[in-house]
Amino acid sequence: MVTKLKEVDAVIVGLGWTGGILAKELTEAGLKVVALERGAPRSTENDFSLPNIRDELRYVVRHDLMQNTARDTITIRNNPSQEALPMRRLGSFLPGEVVGGSGVHWSGHTWRWTDMEFRIRSNYEERYGKNFIPEDMTIQDWGITYAELEPYYDKFEYVAAVAGKAGNIKGQIQPGGNPFEAARAREYPLPPLTPILASEMFSEAARNAGYHPFPRPSANATQPYTNPDGIKFGACQYCGFCQRFGCEANAKGSPHMTVIPIAMRSPNFELRAHSWVTKVLKDSDGKRVTGVAYTNLLNGEEFEQPAGIMLLCAYAINNVHLMLLSGIGEPYDPATQKGIIGKNYCYQTGTGATLFFEGKFFNPFMSAGGSNATFDDFNVNWEFDRGPHNFVGAYNVSGGFNTALPIGYRPVPSGTPQWGSEWKRATAKWYQTAMTISAAGSVMANRYNCFDLDPTYRNAFGQPLMRMTFDYKANEHKVGQHAAQVINDIAKTMTPTNLNPARARTDPWTVVPYQSTHNTGGTIMGTNPRNSALNKYLQSWDCHNLFVIGANVFPHNASYNPTGPVGALAYWTADVIKNHYVKNPQPLVPA
Amino acid sequence: MSGRVGGVTLVLAFLLSGAAYADGDAARGEARFQDCAACHKLEAGVNNVGPTLHEIFQRKAGALSEFRYSPAMKRSGITWTPETLDKFITDPQGMVPANRMPYAGMANPSDRSDLIAYLQKATK
Repeated sequence: MVTKLKEVDAVIVGLGWTGGILAKELTEAGLKVVALERGAPRSTENDFSLPNIRDELRYVVRHDLMQNTARDTITIRNNPSQEALPMRRLGSFLPGEVVGGSGVHWSGHTWRWTDMEFRIRSNYEERYGKNFIPEDMTIQDWGITYAELEPYYDKFEYVAAVAGKAGNIKGQIQPGGNPFEAARAREYPLPPLTPILASEMFSEAARNAGYHPFPRPSANATQPYTNPDGIKFGACQYCGFCQRFGCEANAKGSPHMTVIPIAMRSPNFELRAHSWVTKVLKDSDGKRVTGVAYTNLLNGEEFEQPAGIMLLCAYAINNVHLMLLSGIGEPYDPATQKGIIGKNYCYQTGTGATLFFEGKFFNPFMSAGGSNATFDDFNVNWEFDRGPHNFVGAYNVSGGFNTALPIGYRPVPSGTPQWGSEWKRATAKWYQTAMTISAAGSVMANRYNCFDLDPTYRNAFGQPLMRMTFDYKANEHKVGQHAAQVINDIAKTMTPTNLNPARARTDPWTVVPYQSTHNTGGTIMGTNPRNSALNKYLQSWDCHNLFVIGANVFPHNASYNPTGPVGALAYWTADVIKNHYVKNPQPLVPA
Repeated sequence: MSGRVGGVTLVLAFLLSGAAYADGDAARGEARFQDCAACHKLEAGVNNVGPTLHEIFQRKAGALSEFRYSPAMKRSGITWTPETLDKFITDPQGMVPANRMPYAGMANPSDRSDLIAYLQKATK
């Protein structure tokens, strides 16, 4: 039996960064908001305090804060000719499944994506002509500008306590920052992290090679800090347990200790944890959504929660899944290239080298989430001519490490036996002496990389699993080759005792090992209903009271981590709902 | 004789350190308290990541029944005074090894005396 509940002004599905931001902003604007979150409540004081949080087995190997694949997972294949198989264990990416979402276990890397991405097709066509972009590369302009998002990036950085060094304030290049970044209105709220030896050595080598290294901006508070909402941050202790863990010191900007507790104090807000949304409900003519169906995971009770405004704020992949399960918009078909929902799924690529220096002590157990230096000479820099290399996109290069954990971090020179006493000797010998240089590369949209509903496999609720079809294309292999060359050239100038060189990947993508939790696309934003699922305010073209927020709106994936624009877009959408949509609920952009 | 000298030294040390806290600037100490504020509240009964600091002075370490302390803190035998707190904040792991406070310490003595001067007022 389904219990129909009383209508509220807005329902939020998924309470991480985006859901938390919208919950806070909309309750403050006087709306009655209910948030439905699959996972359990988590707080620093009850769950992330010492010593329990420093448990690599629990959080890294057993994925305590992440999606339970026994209940719902996705099926995976590299191309449409294959049969997709379920991912039975998390590997390549790690969707969060607790109050706070992936914002609890992220590292904090916070970037501003710019018009380089938002005008990607225009940029490349203007520079290199229409034929430069391969026919099957379905990249498109986003329909938004950096100038529109700048104040919202600023807002997110100040809320999340991002530590960094500005490279460009109002057009003035700042020494020590990233000279290629777009102009920002002001400095970061906090000074950058203290560099570790590995990042210092990398920075020196990169500078000698003519590049422009700078400290990676990260939501790791470098000093005690009170954000504009009055939330107090402790200082980062460089404990080495950042990525995949909650922060024991309240130093990592996370929704569970910033926006969510503020919403929780409001009588307008209600959180229902352990609530699994199975479907978004539409009215009879399909022009509006009316609410959601959900199940209380603790006792199996089913509910219908009507709402005036629906906000899908789950993990990117799960937002797309819910759209497909609910029959909102036309599902994308890679064979005919008709339809929208599921289109332009993108991932990231990368490569890296490990350098061993006999006699050095890198102390890899001491680091913050953003303890590396980065350069963008081959990233957000048009001086880097892609023409001769014949690829679209970019990569950033970083040196150092973060979260080098006691069980999993075992660097040994290539050629070392993979087990046994030789391996044991080598891991003891080299643990202190290794550092990495790595590149994170963009992935351009391709007509064959997409999501749809799996025809065979079903989840615990009897619903079709999401099917992911993905592989790297020639474009990404070329990005990887260029990056590997640059990394190896720098590494050699550092004259390590041993070098495991970077190699461009050419094998098909697989779901192991861990690579990146930066899955994007599926319900993309754009300029009209024929090329996108959502308008520039992340409002559905099909149902105007439905907003879908997350990296699922990105039409392609850049080399940067996605949380900066995800947070900025959440504030951007919150503003338009508060200031325009509630007064005049209709499409914010004419179709 | 040696005991007596020790006693004199102890009294002197107490007076000196007492004087130092008295010289601490509570206003500056309020700014230093930002180091603590993400985890510790000053209101009675409000435990967060760390226990409330309300009426900390003259309390025994690990004494609040509603806060989950580390075994190390519970068996430390410390009674919080300006002197013991000063020593603890200097190097928390040095004074109470295996305690659970994720804080590396406040190195500067005048920062510490400012902080303690503030806490003496604000925790009453």
